[in-house]
Amino acid sequence: MGYALVLVRSASLNLEAFTRATGTHPDLVRRLIALGILEADRDAAGELWFAPSQVAVMGRVQRLRAGFGLNYAAVGLVTDLLDRIAILEAALREARRPGR
Amino acid sequence: MPNGPRADRRDFYQVLGVPRTATQDEIQRAYRTLARQHHPDVNKDPAAEDRFKEISEAYDVLSDPQTRRRYDAFGPDFRQVPEDVDPEAFQRSRVGAGTAGAGQARGAGGAGGFGTGLGGDLGGIDIEDLLGGIFGGRGFGPIRGADQETELELTVEEAFQGGHRSVTLEGPDGRRTLDVRIPAGVTDGQRIRLAGQGGRGSEGAPNGDLYFVARIAPHPRYRVDGRDLYVDLPLAPWEAALGTSVAVETPRGEMKVKVPAGTSTGKRLRLRHHGLPHPRGGAGHLYAEVRIVVPAKLTDEERRLFEQLAAVSTFDPRRR
Repeated sequence: MGYALVLVRSASLNLEAFTRATGTHPDLVRRLIALGILEADRDAAGELWFAPSQVAVMGRVQRLRAGFGLNYAAVGLVTDLLDRIAILEAALREARRPGR
Repeated sequence: MPNGPRADRRDFYQVLGVPRTATQDEIQRAYRTLARQHHPDVNKDPAAEDRFKEISEAYDVLSDPQTRRRYDAFGPDFRQVPEDVDPEAFQRSRVGAGTAGAGQARGAGGAGGFGTGLGGDLGGIDIEDLLGGIFGGRGFGPIRGADQETELELTVEEAFQGGHRSVTLEGPDGRRTLDVRIPAGVTDGQRIRLAGQGGRGSEGAPNGDLYFVARIAPHPRYRVDGRDLYVDLPLAPWEAALGTSVAVETPRGEMKVKVPAGTSTGKRLRLRHHGLPHPRGGAGHLYAEVRIVVPAKLTDEERRLFEQLAAVSTFDPRRR
């Protein structure tokens, strides 16, 4: 992906803040981490920390699940494929670019 | 928005692209196919979300035989018609009132169609309440809106100077015009983020972000590579051989460039930091690329001088 011109102040969210921001249950969040769909860091005390971008990831997971009735493993596959397509489309645009 | 004009509401069958006689299977197939194309996480186009909601609303109504019957009978505003109204009696009353048959009502006809007493207000029903079911109402809670992405074509001059651009987009609230600030030195493929201008969050969740992907349009004079600009510099053979000083057009205006003696085609003369600016660092460079051009037709005098040069010179450009 390209990068945003706006610098996002990245204040990490702990599990409680993350579940509040996304309206989800902590068990579901842990399961999505185990499936590799969400990314979180675990600190020395064992607490989970989420980058703010993971709120958007969670939104996408919820919408894909709601829109297509997918299970979470399938959501993982779909999000991976969508990310790969986005990268390919960006590369394609780059290649089609006029000039050098 | 809830009280906005409904003139743009399309017929649900048209939305799904199926005939009014479609079976439930056909309706479902059409919906699944369209949903895959327009789901806001699959299609980043800002217009896709609106389209997806329309598709979902159409499917919600037509997939249930009961509501489909009522829709067929009463048209787009069927939710205002009490449950116990007989469809046929309703049809007769509408024909009596000189209005088109509800069954044929397209979105445009249905807008102010019946019951002016109800006015533009949908009897207190907020369409968002109905649509909330798409993402929000099925036990999914508040969901942050999807990020959207659209391209923004800029000229080299705009990328150089930065500035503001007014962009009109179709969105869930109809057309909206956004004032996009273009930072000076934006490069091709860079993304400009408009926080909170993307897809709508459900149930009070924040909206997604809208990204403009900068595309620098082909320019008759400049070629762009990252922040570097390339411009052709045509030279006469004697200018290239003897050296000269020529004016080169840059986005900042004309610049004098010194061409050293013995310059061949392909040589790049660099004007340091005269490319696109960098918000946090050194600007790109401008390269004038030498291209030696000969007169298509020589005068007698020119021919004589070239012949003289050819006779005298021992230069062989193909010598290894």
